[in-house]
Amino acid sequence: MTADHWTFVIAAYGLAAVVLGGYWRRLVRQERAVRAGSARRQSRR
Amino acid sequence: MMVPMLGWLAMLAIGGGLVMGFGIAPREVTQGSVQRIMYVHVPFAWVAYLAFAVVFVASIAYLWRRSAAADRVAHASAEAGVVFTGLAIATGSIWGKPTWGTWWTWDARLTSVALLFVLYLGYLMLRGMIEDRERGARYAAVLGIIAALDIPLVHFSVFWWRTLHQPPSIRPGSAAMPGVILAALLVNVVAFTLLYAYFVAKRSRVLRLAEEMPA
Repeated sequence: MTADHWTFVIAAYGLAAVVLGGYWRRLVRQERAVRAGSARRQSRR
Repeated sequence: MMVPMLGWLAMLAIGGGLVMGFGIAPREVTQGSVQRIMYVHVPFAWVAYLAFAVVFVASIAYLWRRSAAADRVAHASAEAGVVFTGLAIATGSIWGKPTWGTWWTWDARLTSVALLFVLYLGYLMLRGMIEDRERGARYAAVLGIIAALDIPLVHFSVFWWRTLHQPPSIRPGSAAMPGVILAALLVNVVAFTLLYAYFVAKRSRVLRLAEEMPA
């Protein structure tokens, strides 16, 4: 019977979760920073 | 409102894809459970094609109409495309070690995908290097069109060179895939396409907000 290699399966799914989650967090942070910057500049006017 | 909804829809679909891939699809007879990596590897590769095809169309639209919205979509899609291409390469490599006995080989498909990844990394670097927004968008659009020439090369490489990477599993004339495995694959393709759409919508919005920011 062929071996299942579960460690490889977990590694692939784990890596995908970390990269996609990390990219999503980056987008959230970028949006927050742009909105905050925009609000700061408008309040200075 | 639409963007968060797209995000939730993608999350729901990814949950469905995991249930299909691990709970419903059976253990594959010849490869064993390592075949379950295909439920993410194939969708990542599909999304990468889609993302760079969108860059190609949006780049033409930008050069033709000088539409800032088209430029934002091209930029956002290239970024998401690089993320998904990187993941397609990495998950393919993780699958390749137990199946082919190697993490990497200079096979025609792998090499052309690596070239695609580097081309669009260069695209993003080019965008970051040029300060003048209009000029940066124009140069990036030209590169976005030229780099897309690698997409058919990636797709047909498995037919033209017949190296290690197998031809696509879903194609006319190929052996029928068991329905449940095909269904698991398709649910994941839909799920990651939704996630890609969410990423592009969110990134485009960030780019628009940055452009509209008062000087």
